[in-house]
Amino acid sequence: MTVYDIITQMVTSFIGSLGFALMFGMRRRHLMIASLGGMLSWGIYLAVLSVRESVFFAVLAASAFSMIYAEFMARLRKCPATLFIIIAIIPLVPGSSLYYAMSYAVSGDMINAGYHAHQTVIWVLAISAGISFVTAIRELRTRK
Amino acid sequence: MLKIQKEQEADMLECLLDMGELLLESGAEISRVEDTLCRIARAYGAVRADAFVITSIVSITIEFTESDLVTENRRIYSSSGTDFYRLEKLNELSRRICHSPEPLSEFRKAISEVTSREKPFSIILLGSILAAGGFAVFFGGSVNDGITASFFAWGICLLQKYLGRTQINPAASNLLISLATGLCVGMLCRVITSLHMDKILIGDIMLLIPGLAMTNAVRNILVGNTISGVVRLTECFLWALSLAGGFMTAIMILEIL
Repeated sequence: MTVYDIITQMVTSFIGSLGFALMFGMRRRHLMIASLGGMLSWGIYLAVLSVRESVFFAVLAASAFSMIYAEFMARLRKCPATLFIIIAIIPLVPGSSLYYAMSYAVSGDMINAGYHAHQTVIWVLAISAGISFVTAIRELRTRK
Repeated sequence: MLKIQKEQEADMLECLLDMGELLLESGAEISRVEDTLCRIARAYGAVRADAFVITSIVSITIEFTESDLVTENRRIYSSSGTDFYRLEKLNELSRRICHSPEPLSEFRKAISEVTSREKPFSIILLGSILAAGGFAVFFGGSVNDGITASFFAWGICLLQKYLGRTQINPAASNLLISLATGLCVGMLCRVITSLHMDKILIGDIMLLIPGLAMTNAVRNILVGNTISGVVRLTECFLWALSLAGGFMTAIMILEIL
């Protein structure tokens, strides 16, 4: 992966996250912070992946980071963390592997379809686990 | 503290149901909906409040005094949308009410104020265009692929708006939209051979694909709202299948032509 690729991905993940924030009717004053979350989470994914060659671990780290970022920004902006977490994980959502899984399944190539379906499951699990992990730690700190 | 009279109880439950419905329709997590409803009920002086929420039902039981229990249910028909503006407003409202309960008429007025504001279509359109174009390039497409994906995002948005007004269910609407998109993109890529069909479609499909809903479903399961999670996950598989069905048909039609 070249520097050019990394810059392209960072910029487009920002644009993509911004697009989703607009689609979900986010108020203008949160737009920048939310889209920045999407870009940063992708940055963390790339950084962790370059250190350790494990997609699951990288996605887990990126989504855990997103949740911390979202919680922090929610405190700062006094609004629910959901707003920021949903936008921050958007670049991690496995749209492309879900697409390739469907597309290979349609053309009858079950080996590739299985591979991409497997990837989709790994990504979805890693994102959810990362978020739940941080949520669990936050819940540990609050008493009933 | 504001005390709820006996004859106001039904009214109050209706307010809570409206609030729960709005929260679900705006994309709040299940645990947040349950928590919010119980907190508000207690702020209005309930001895005990139990809310049971899944993606299709809100059920609340409030115990005002020892022998005075009221239960209401509401069936929720569409809980797949996301509206951050409403979510934020409802959150502010629930905080305000828990802090100092307002008369029910005020509460009702605040809820209808939130309902009255719809997302402007032009903003949704702009968002779709940015998202589709951005992700087409993000997943490895060229700039031209991005522009093409943005162009089709506009069509998808219009189709979604039109189909949203009809009775059609989400699976069937996904099928129709993916069929139309697959056909148009496929034909365009035959004419302009430098375009990458898969990248353009991925960009556009990011708008339709239930990846986010799927992630939220698994998240629901992991935090303990198993029923809602499983229901939503099943729906996601159905939506993904209907998307695949639309594409399959589009590809087969293109091969015949």
